[in-house]
Amino acid sequence: MSRLTLDKLTLAQGGRTVLEDVSGTFEDGAITALVGANGAGKSTLIQAIMGLLSPLSGQVHCSMPKERRAWLPQQLALDLTFPMSVEELMLTGRWPTHGTFKRYGPDDYRHMHGVMQRLGLSGLAHRPLGELSGGQRQRALLGRTLMQEAELLLLDEPFANVDTHTVEILCDTLRDIANQGATVIVVLHDMEQLARLADCVLLLAGGHAQWVEPETLLERHHAPARRHAHTQAPFISLNLPDVPPCSTY
Amino acid sequence: MLDLLTTLNAWLIAPLTDYAFMRRALVGGLALSLAAPPLGVFLMLRGMSLVGDAMAHAVLPGVALGFVLAGFSLPAMSLGGLVAGLLVAGLAGSVSRMTGHREDSAMASFYLISLALGVMLVSLRGSSVDLTHVLFGSILAIDDTALWLIASVTSATLLVLALIFRVLVVECLDPLFLRGQGIRGGLVHGTFLGLMVLNLTAGFQTLGTLMAVGLMMLPATAARFWSQRLEGLIGLAIVIAMLSSAGGLLLSYHLGLPSGPCIILIAGTIYLVSALCGRHGSLLARLRRRAAPLEKNEDTCTSS
Repeated sequence: MSRLTLDKLTLAQGGRTVLEDVSGTFEDGAITALVGANGAGKSTLIQAIMGLLSPLSGQVHCSMPKERRAWLPQQLALDLTFPMSVEELMLTGRWPTHGTFKRYGPDDYRHMHGVMQRLGLSGLAHRPLGELSGGQRQRALLGRTLMQEAELLLLDEPFANVDTHTVEILCDTLRDIANQGATVIVVLHDMEQLARLADCVLLLAGGHAQWVEPETLLERHHAPARRHAHTQAPFISLNLPDVPPCSTY
Repeated sequence: MLDLLTTLNAWLIAPLTDYAFMRRALVGGLALSLAAPPLGVFLMLRGMSLVGDAMAHAVLPGVALGFVLAGFSLPAMSLGGLVAGLLVAGLAGSVSRMTGHREDSAMASFYLISLALGVMLVSLRGSSVDLTHVLFGSILAIDDTALWLIASVTSATLLVLALIFRVLVVECLDPLFLRGQGIRGGLVHGTFLGLMVLNLTAGFQTLGTLMAVGLMMLPATAARFWSQRLEGLIGLAIVIAMLSSAGGLLLSYHLGLPSGPCIILIAGTIYLVSALCGRHGSLLARLRRRAAPLEKNEDTCTSS
């Protein structure tokens, strides 16, 4: 079953067409990796799925309510000097049910403590955001999406600049979320994480998109991926015709 | 002991029991101190500390136009100030959204145009004394109309702030999250700017257009050195503003100094003291923090 479908989607940003004629279906309970070089349109596609960017043509069909879609952007607009604790940040995830006025009850706190324990954040509840490490911050933000009980989760390079302990926790949690039926879309650059997480891959290059099997991509690009894994340059330089499309999508 | 009490009475209580204008000034000052500092805290946290200053300049042409049209009438001048302030905030916001330029550059442009218009209008009609009054206010000349205006603005501000508090906090922290939830951040931002203009307008009679922003920002920036929690910042900023208002008023009475600058200078002194010896991020706190690891290092050296 699928609650998110792209139908001949064409997207532009700043007067430049970024993606053309993208179609496909994101299965419920599956983790889809968005792969492509810098500037290939990954973030643009995410914005369109979130409903923050109107397509030039085509449509995003998403039956999940807006407040159940969660987005963890790459360079987060989070103001770290803001005087807020981890607990307060996570409780803002209750927005869909509580909005501006409703008071947080014992159930919300119980749920939050469960989430914190799962993410290894117990004991950090009252820590100010500015004092968190990169990994702890990323876990706290994922915690907010868990509080939100998101049905669609979009993550833009969630593993950048985080410790290995955090990578482990994030991977396990994302798999759990997917197993519970949520649709998870992750922008990935690292082939090891792709091999570990992705059920399917949407490859973006040259303004076009193609669905491919993770195994196919790994077979063809395993070596270059390792060689450039820690450089700034995009290490997946793909031409779509190189990779055979996946028949399922 | 009795002498001390008499002195204290003469300094702190007598001016208030003897003169009605002092009582009115105190009530007005305390009321302003209740609503303006929380706005200042949010302005500071949003990195918009100087926007308050820009808006204080922006209300001037409206106040001047009210003065030109209706003479020295508080309602007319306040209404003019409010309209001018909202117009500048609205125009700056629209231009910034349409062009993609930063909002502060648009606001700087519009407030300068507005300020020049205001000064021109005042000089067309009145003498330089009038301009001084508009710019620096006179808290000792507060009448009942002004008190009602201040009380209404304070009540409305606190009420609206309570209503939008959570959404304002989330918008300050992570605007993208709010957009994802389908809430238009622009609306929250606009409401907030509206509240700010409202408070500057209420404050202009007592402190003047330029000094009004002082009671908004200085308590907030001083509180930053003492608290790392939002509730703490807001509570402390209100207390600092109230102390400054009462202290400044009494100081101006006893020393025969202008009241507006006295109030702001007391707030300024509290800021400077906080910057020097506050609990978080002050000069003293930094020195202490720097000293701590050194001692630890010495211990490690001797034990190894």
